[in-house]
Amino acid sequence: MAEKNTKERSSLSKWTRRGFLGIGGLLGLGLVVGVGGLAYVGRSIKKYSGKGMGEGASLNAWIRIAPDNKITLAVARSEMGQGVYTALAQLIAEELEVNFEDVQVIHPQAESPYANTFLSTQKRENAFTGFGPMGKILSFMPVIATGGSTTVIDAWEGMRYAGATAREMLIQAAAKTWDVDASTCKAELGFVINTTSGERLSYGALAESAKDYTLDKLPTLKAKSEFKIVGKPVQRLDIPAKVNGTAMFGLDYKEKDMVYAAVKHAKITGNKITGFKNEEEVLKLPGVLKVVLTEYGKALVYADNSWRAMQAAKSLEVNEEGAQVPDMDSAYYFGEMRRIADEDPISVRIDKGDVQGITNEDVQEGERKLEAYYEVPYLAHACMEPVNATAIMENGNLEAWMGHQAISVAETMLNESSGVAKDKIKINITYLGGGFGRKGEPDFPRLIGAAAKAMQGKLVQMIFSREEDMKNDMYRPGAVCKMSGVVTQDGSLKALQANLAIQSVERQALGRIVPLMAPAAEKAKTTLEGLDNQAYNIPNHRVSFGNFETDILVGFWRSVSYSQNGFFQESFIDELAHAAGKDPLEFRRNMLLDQPRYLNVLDRLKEMSNWGKQEADTYQGIALQYSFESIVAQVAEIKKMGEKEFKIVNYYCVIDCGNTVNPDTIEAQMQSGIVFGLSAAIHGEISWKNGSPVQSNFHDYQMLKMYNCPKITVAIMENNEEPGGVGEPGVPPAAPALTNALFKATGERIRSLPLSKSDYVFV
Amino acid sequence: MKLKINGEIVDVEVEESMPLLWVLRDELHMTGTKYGCGIAQCGACSVIVDGTVMRSCSLPVGSLENMDIQTIESSDAAGTLSVLQEAWIEKQVPQCGYCQSGMLMAATQLLKDIPAPRDEDINAAMTNICRCGTYNRIRAAIYLAAERLAQAGKAVTIK
Ligand code: FES
Ligand code: FES
Repeated sequence: MAEKNTKERSSLSKWTRRGFLGIGGLLGLGLVVGVGGLAYVGRSIKKYSGKGMGEGASLNAWIRIAPDNKITLAVARSEMGQGVYTALAQLIAEELEVNFEDVQVIHPQAESPYANTFLSTQKRENAFTGFGPMGKILSFMPVIATGGSTTVIDAWEGMRYAGATAREMLIQAAAKTWDVDASTCKAELGFVINTTSGERLSYGALAESAKDYTLDKLPTLKAKSEFKIVGKPVQRLDIPAKVNGTAMFGLDYKEKDMVYAAVKHAKITGNKITGFKNEEEVLKLPGVLKVVLTEYGKALVYADNSWRAMQAAKSLEVNEEGAQVPDMDSAYYFGEMRRIADEDPISVRIDKGDVQGITNEDVQEGERKLEAYYEVPYLAHACMEPVNATAIMENGNLEAWMGHQAISVAETMLNESSGVAKDKIKINITYLGGGFGRKGEPDFPRLIGAAAKAMQGKLVQMIFSREEDMKNDMYRPGAVCKMSGVVTQDGSLKALQANLAIQSVERQALGRIVPLMAPAAEKAKTTLEGLDNQAYNIPNHRVSFGNFETDILVGFWRSVSYSQNGFFQESFIDELAHAAGKDPLEFRRNMLLDQPRYLNVLDRLKEMSNWGKQEADTYQGIALQYSFESIVAQVAEIKKMGEKEFKIVNYYCVIDCGNTVNPDTIEAQMQSGIVFGLSAAIHGEISWKNGSPVQSNFHDYQMLKMYNCPKITVAIMENNEEPGGVGEPGVPPAAPALTNALFKATGERIRSLPLSKSDYVFV
Repeated sequence: MKLKINGEIVDVEVEESMPLLWVLRDELHMTGTKYGCGIAQCGACSVIVDGTVMRSCSLPVGSLENMDIQTIESSDAAGTLSVLQEAWIEKQVPQCGYCQSGMLMAATQLLKDIPAPRDEDINAAMTNICRCGTYNRIRAAIYLAAERLAQAGKAVTIK
């Protein structure tokens, strides 16, 4: 049985990436296509290997067609449940003119054509129409990553050009074969048709000759009205394997005689392990092979089975040191942040009108001034699949299997820790059992490189136990935000001020992942997102930030700064609406009168939620956030069951994300984001005691479950705007919508999460 | 020791205290059953043992001799599991997919025990965690599968 289920590894000796360049060829040697052409800088270094794409001819970096008409598409974005394999395949297939059922997707190697330009530059550019200066520079050190809800934004035009140019190359090849003008040929469902004679040639028959054709201009992309695949709820390509246990996650690559390595971190946050106390005893435990202290201050306990390795790692006693504040509790962290929130901020992002004048003075007759401190805790990602990676280092080559969000980061870290040259490294990006930002971190590719190096010639599967995973996360930072505001007698918002105290994720996480791109804390652009980039028209507005530095590692957590700032802003806006005696939806609407997309979203939400017309024991709350180029508004509908006991009956969610690729996926992502936001709002908290995180597993870091998950209804606005993100924007409004509903129900304003701390129960 | 997994007898040599999960995954390389928490909290490791859904991460393998163990790898053409799997695809349930083997095991036993479940039955039986929040679609897929199985049952009875 063991053999039966063992997947065969591609032979390492056959693998060097250089060897494949001949097959994939150079990009952009043709005038325009092949791909990128004139606009594509540094053409001579734009190489792709086509590795992993199987038989056939590559028409460009993304498309290979086999003689038997099998179409393999390269999607260098990590599939973590958000549907990117399918979405990007839809974009390519739409223009390539093939049956969607006929395509399959692989994740290619870390090669330059696959850079995520939008993620790095925030510019909607692609290789076909040309990059600006920053895009050009970045194509020399490509960031190939999945995050920031950027995948579709980045791919929207480029991937359709990838399909369209390949289609035109196939048409040229067919025209040549028939000796007719290309304009008399057309492409349809995997065939080129000679419209004069009715003859047909399959893509499979044409690909080999088509790959050498060049085009002298970019083809015109289809109009939206002509789409057959894009914007349609096609079935996801990854789902069949995810219902029968065959989908391969990082922990699922198996071979005979492999070994397992359990990771152990120092107990105190900020410490490193410096030595072992009971190595001898641990080595005698069943199955244990080796104990290694890595240069990163983390230990690896090798055994012949994951469980034995994890048991042994648990009993390993270590010496550790290095933390700046070794015995701190949460009270210290939050005390510091409260102090910072009260101080003059280090960075003022918005300063419009005269906020300080207004909020510091006694308010005018008839006006109301509000001031409140909001607080959120640190949060763990708690991906369903704990952090892990698998690799073998042999004869100077390294092959790895892992669910990482950024193959370019993984490659850099493997190279650094194993010493194996990048062109001798092959990375198989598996499915991710959840990512949420955690799986873009460099720690686990770096560690697996070290783990494979310390046990060369053996396939090593490295695993974080759930406890190690939860206690050694790069957390969503805790934060304190001081909000103040003034509403006028006629019920409009006159002034709003927010002063946020937080560890800057952008500064710290980029410092770990791409040090060159890490900004100083006060320059970090994204820290205030959710507070400084919302559409409300506020005459006097000030948003500022004070940096908090400590040993705790913080990182990108689904929706990043919006995850807390959305809660601060949308809760306080609700407070102000009530203080002004206005309906919270209308209060918001009045600040958006020149923003038709927002008004449409709010009007749609009002209608679908039956806003304001509830039965006696049912209450609603609303929240609205722009994030990642999309607008999302939600209404939470809760029913009172007891004193502090509620049932969250419904969530209504409206998203405007511009043009859509797969509406079914968008619905799923909204549902997912709301559940993610609610789990955090109700239960989520990582706290510290004596320098260590308290929570360790799902018993004390709880999740929403089937019984208390609301029915979630989603509407997607139809328009022809540029696409926005969908993986994250569902999260930010979820918490404030709920707490705003609770205020309606109880009169209690929740300014600190999670709700379980205020004794609320959701049944 | 001998284990009966998906109708097949397999021989494994491990300590009796090793949880079934790790025997499946690391000794037998049956990787459909997942590790999520190791403490019977999340359900990612769910399997069916003699007609009861069990969390294999907390089930010492020594206690399982002569018992019928069913995992996601089992094939039951036109049986409850495969009808559920079809419904899972039709309703496009999985996101990351990591929890779904466990969810399907729990749903399989639910429909065997309660062929026409109500919301409360689903809430009581489906206690697994889905970090991606696919609960709404899981519920919809269970109802769809229950309907299909009921129809198939009727068809058989009429014959
Ligand atoms: S792994 Fe067994 S219940 Fe979580
Ligand atoms: S689908 Fe990802 S945990 Fe359920």
